[in-house]
Amino acid sequence: MTATREAIALPLVFLTVALFGGLRIADRVALRPPPLFALVLSVLLLGLLVRCGALAAGRLVHGSRSRLANLNGLVVVLAAFLASAQAFNVATPESGAPRVLFNLVFLILLANTIAASPDRVRVLRSLLVIFGSAFIVKFIVLSALSHPAEGTVTRALQVLFEGVTLGSVTQDVFHPATGYIAFGTLMLYLFGLVLLPAADRGGLKPAATYRTSLNTNREENKLEE
Amino acid sequence: MVAMRDGMVRGIGLALAVGYATFIAWLYIQQPQSAAEVTGGFSASIGSYRIDPQAFEDGVQFFRRDQFVEARTAFERADPARQDARTQFYVAYTYYRQGWGRFYQDDELFAQGLEAVNRAIARAPGGRIRVDDPGLQMRSGEELKAELEAGLRRDASDFNPARLLGRRK
Repeated sequence: MTATREAIALPLVFLTVALFGGLRIADRVALRPPPLFALVLSVLLLGLLVRCGALAAGRLVHGSRSRLANLNGLVVVLAAFLASAQAFNVATPESGAPRVLFNLVFLILLANTIAASPDRVRVLRSLLVIFGSAFIVKFIVLSALSHPAEGTVTRALQVLFEGVTLGSVTQDVFHPATGYIAFGTLMLYLFGLVLLPAADRGGLKPAATYRTSLNTNREENKLEE
Repeated sequence: MVAMRDGMVRGIGLALAVGYATFIAWLYIQQPQSAAEVTGGFSASIGSYRIDPQAFEDGVQFFRRDQFVEARTAFERADPARQDARTQFYVAYTYYRQGWGRFYQDDELFAQGLEAVNRAIARAPGGRIRVDDPGLQMRSGEELKAELEAGLRRDASDFNPARLLGRRK
């Protein structure tokens, strides 16, 4: 990993995610800090990234590195932590039953992924699916249910839906720009995760690499025969 | 040479990251509503923020003629970043006077007034604001804030007939 990537690109990417992850535009502009639960999820996610090799902490902070390099590494880890918390913040609905449900699902998914011990590529794909799905539900499905309806019939159906769910599903309505910014923020966050220094797994090879090495071994055996 | 360049990049990166993180923390604390508030906030933090005195005078003139909406527009022009305590005090006062009624107070205007006076108190040095204007009966942030809060409160005194004899301050 180059010094430019570690000292400039990664902190700027993650800090930008930390900045825009809390942005909500309605009649006022609000910057919402991550809730406590997002911090807990962020710790779990960092643990998962280290475990799967997507984040090699030893390549960021280590006794063999200079003090300045270690400081850069520490900044990357802290920025990644804040960015992860804000990524959960932006992907989680703002209130009601969906918020509780989303937090629970995030917790279970992360715990399950940690227990499964997948490789880096699979974890990154999994995170893309998790954040992508959460984005669709929050900014498309829930937003459509919460947005004031235009037609009389639609409005009546919406009132009926609110009555049935006791108003626990509908969310605050944000300016459409919020959704676009959230999308960009989540994409930037995933891009940042890809840029993180990966661990050299050595003997522990991902499935695809393992298959390739098996084929190579077979070919070598044939040549020997 | 390579090591020196590497060290320079790392040093610049560290400074950039710390500066950017500080800026983000500042934004989250200040919660600015526009780009003008961001730049004005920065200017105020280094002590170089100045309001437009002409627009402020216009605002005060409108205020004295009970043209509150026009006064707020002028004050907004004078202090676009909402960083000047005195201007924000007048803004709060316009909400108070416009929202005051003999029979009832306009809660929405009073709430906006309370927001403005809180802003004025927050911007004033040491949280103490005092405006020496003979046309005002409340000249401190504390008095105006208490009056706005009292207007928003619901209690038994709301039904006191003596309220009808009260005067706008």
